[in-house]
Amino acid sequence: MLEAQTASSLDEKMKVEDLNVYYGAFHAIKGANLAVPARRVMALIGPSGCGKSTFLRALNRMHDLTPGARVEGGVTLDGTDIYASDVDPVTVRHRIGMVFQRPNPFPKSIYENVVYGPKIHGENNKSRLLEIAERSLRAAALWDEAKDRLHRSALDLSGGQQQRLCIARVLAVEPEVILMDEPASALDPIATSKIEDLIGELKKQYTVVIVTHSMQQAARISDFTAFFLLGELLEVGTTSDIFTRPKDQRTEDYITGRYG
Amino acid sequence: MARAIVAATAASARLGSDRARARRIVDRIATALLWASASTVVGLLLIFVAYLFVKGAGVVTWHFLTASPSASEAGGGVGPLIFNSFYILALALFFTVPIALCAGMYLQEYAGPGRFRDLVQFSAESLATVPSIVMGLFGLLIFVQTFHWHFTALGGALTLTLLNLPAMMRVTQEALAGVPDTLREASMGLGATKWQTVLRVILPSAIGQLTTGVVLVAGRIFGETAALIFTAGASVSYGKSAYDFNPFHTAETLAVGLYQTHREALVPDADAIGNGSALVLLVMVLAFNIIARVVGRRLTIHFTGKA
Amino acid sequence: MVGANVGKAHRDERIALVVLATCSAIFVLAIALILIYLAWSGTKLFFADHVSLFTFLFGSDWDGLAGKFGAAPFIVGSLVATGFAILVGGPLGVAIGVFFSELAPPRVAAAFKPAIEVLVGIPSVVYGWLGLTLLVPLIGRIFHSGGDGLLAAGIVLSIMILPTVISLSEDALKVVPTALREGSAALGATRWETISRVLIPSASSGLAVAVILGIARAIGETLAVQLVLGNAAVIPSSLLKPAAALTSEIVMDMGDAPDGSPFQHALFSMAFLLLLIAMALIVLIRIALRRRA
Repeated sequence: MLEAQTASSLDEKMKVEDLNVYYGAFHAIKGANLAVPARRVMALIGPSGCGKSTFLRALNRMHDLTPGARVEGGVTLDGTDIYASDVDPVTVRHRIGMVFQRPNPFPKSIYENVVYGPKIHGENNKSRLLEIAERSLRAAALWDEAKDRLHRSALDLSGGQQQRLCIARVLAVEPEVILMDEPASALDPIATSKIEDLIGELKKQYTVVIVTHSMQQAARISDFTAFFLLGELLEVGTTSDIFTRPKDQRTEDYITGRYG
Repeated sequence: MARAIVAATAASARLGSDRARARRIVDRIATALLWASASTVVGLLLIFVAYLFVKGAGVVTWHFLTASPSASEAGGGVGPLIFNSFYILALALFFTVPIALCAGMYLQEYAGPGRFRDLVQFSAESLATVPSIVMGLFGLLIFVQTFHWHFTALGGALTLTLLNLPAMMRVTQEALAGVPDTLREASMGLGATKWQTVLRVILPSAIGQLTTGVVLVAGRIFGETAALIFTAGASVSYGKSAYDFNPFHTAETLAVGLYQTHREALVPDADAIGNGSALVLLVMVLAFNIIARVVGRRLTIHFTGKA
Repeated sequence: MVGANVGKAHRDERIALVVLATCSAIFVLAIALILIYLAWSGTKLFFADHVSLFTFLFGSDWDGLAGKFGAAPFIVGSLVATGFAILVGGPLGVAIGVFFSELAPPRVAAAFKPAIEVLVGIPSVVYGWLGLTLLVPLIGRIFHSGGDGLLAAGIVLSIMILPTVISLSEDALKVVPTALREGSAALGATRWETISRVLIPSASSGLAVAVILGIARAIGETLAVQLVLGNAAVIPSSLLKPAAALTSEIVMDMGDAPDGSPFQHALFSMAFLLLLIAMALIVLIRIALRRRA
């Protein structure tokens, strides 16, 4: 359906220019360039250890929290550089949310988890918080399962439900971009397919960038795909182009399974 | 596991020579000795506890626990001393817990590796090794002499604070370290500042372990003697109502009282009072231990939904 | 909603940073003050009262009120009592640490561990009381002596340092990777051989720390030893004769020494000596830990 449109004819939500990330002396990401189209799903694929997660974390300034990590180059959101000195990382993370590989709900109730974001951003009105909670849980396809146990501990949920709770938590702060770092890798196939369906819904409203180690998953859910190898972003294109007509030989080798 | 592997390997050694048999005998003897060591120590503890109960049970009556000490006659009690012990404990915790909690939070959550951090860590380690009598003399120098307070409950409490700051900070650090990093990531990822993360996520998750640690340290403070003798004093107003809330008055605690009972031995039933005091101290220690675990577990369940 | 609270959040962050850092600085201030005050008071004996350091450290003539300040009896007493405690309590503590780490089935460990925790919590004055009423008469009966003295103090101290040595030894052993245990077993070693030839050497720096901290605990212990030592300011000729230690002497006589007198200064010098020993032990620990890497 989207094969006719290339990345450049859509709005660019984020643009990465000549990004370099260092962990101490180790050069983890080498000169990456990427345009992330708005309201589409962009998948980042590549063998393990090639830097996909590192790249993803550069998009919401998570590396600020890692001592010894250094980020150079430009990452812009709607044209504004998020690493500019007058930009507050806290604000960046409102607009660009992140879902992690292992579900990490806070040891609080489901309700408290979801409204955590709005609360720290100053929302105190109980009825508004409840609205936000319901809206976010519906958007994360968890409302029906959660509505009768909102005040019970989030840790009682199953792995798949916890991950959807983490997604609801991110949605509650109303971001524009959602970054997902292998969100289903710790889940069973049924939970995984629920998450994948959810992503399909989310992209109607949000821009999604997802790291995945499963090519099949990338092929199923993404509109665009970027291939990473050893810290370099080798190739970007529509998902069907990447999988059927890869331009780089190394991309083709990965796709056809010459190395995992 | 490894023990099973070793057992199987030892079994196969049976097929071998005299040397193998000798090695197995050594292993058996060593094992027996290790078991004996542990059992001996546990047995010793049981003997101590039993002895204290036997000797002290007859002495510890309601009268004993509430009456004032007697200057020269038999039949005095330790009421005011117990009061002073709790009072000084409360004062000491009032100072120790906030300072140690903040310092622990700083070291665990804020401070990057660097000179200040190493300095604080080194200072804490050094403070922890200062003998309690030396700390008591420092308290004497500062509070009693330099500040001209003479013997005061406050002086004693502040000295105890210095003595227990390192332990309390370690409690804080361990409790905070027990909170998984994934929670920090999740909170920061939602756009929280570090302080918001610490206050709303990390502290609530750690509160069970924190409480256990604080109550255990409190138990140790309750029994402290050497640091108090020359700061809070070793005397109590005989006869008068000595339940004194004034922090600037002398305050002899139960532990100091036990020492004084032996030292002065003015009353004819000094030994009995000593036995009674020792038993009360022991029971308090056990109580603090039990409360620490129980309350800690309850709090963890309440705040995190899971043990 | 973006930006609604950011200003306040950042202000809170700055305030928090200042408060937390200040509390951390209190630790540094505290130890600095202690060192300064104790050094100042502890050297008055030498600078103001002109007692020679040599006399203080090596002279055995002590009579505070009469101006004799040879503190050797106390130094020797502390060293002997501590030495005894480490020679007995050290290996015993390590052995029990090995027991908990390698031998004890979970149920036994769960039963024995609370006992160790209670041992930690018993106040030192209660240990002293137990020593006085249980141990000293016992020794007196066995050895036909008064019962008090360095043997009694050594035994009491051995028991008192056990919990420290046990828990640190156990921690040191637990950190040794399981792979080493499995490798040794796969080569046909008995469990004791694995423990003695592989685990203990691997954990040696942690075990050294355990022992050093035991020493620190023993040498600083006051009440327990004061109640069982007998308090005679002489270098004892046997473990069964009354003796004295630095800590016990301070607690005994500080109340009697007149303010500002050389007697009081001498006691402060002993306290300063104790502080120096404690700091030296810390340095030793750091060296031991550095050798681990």
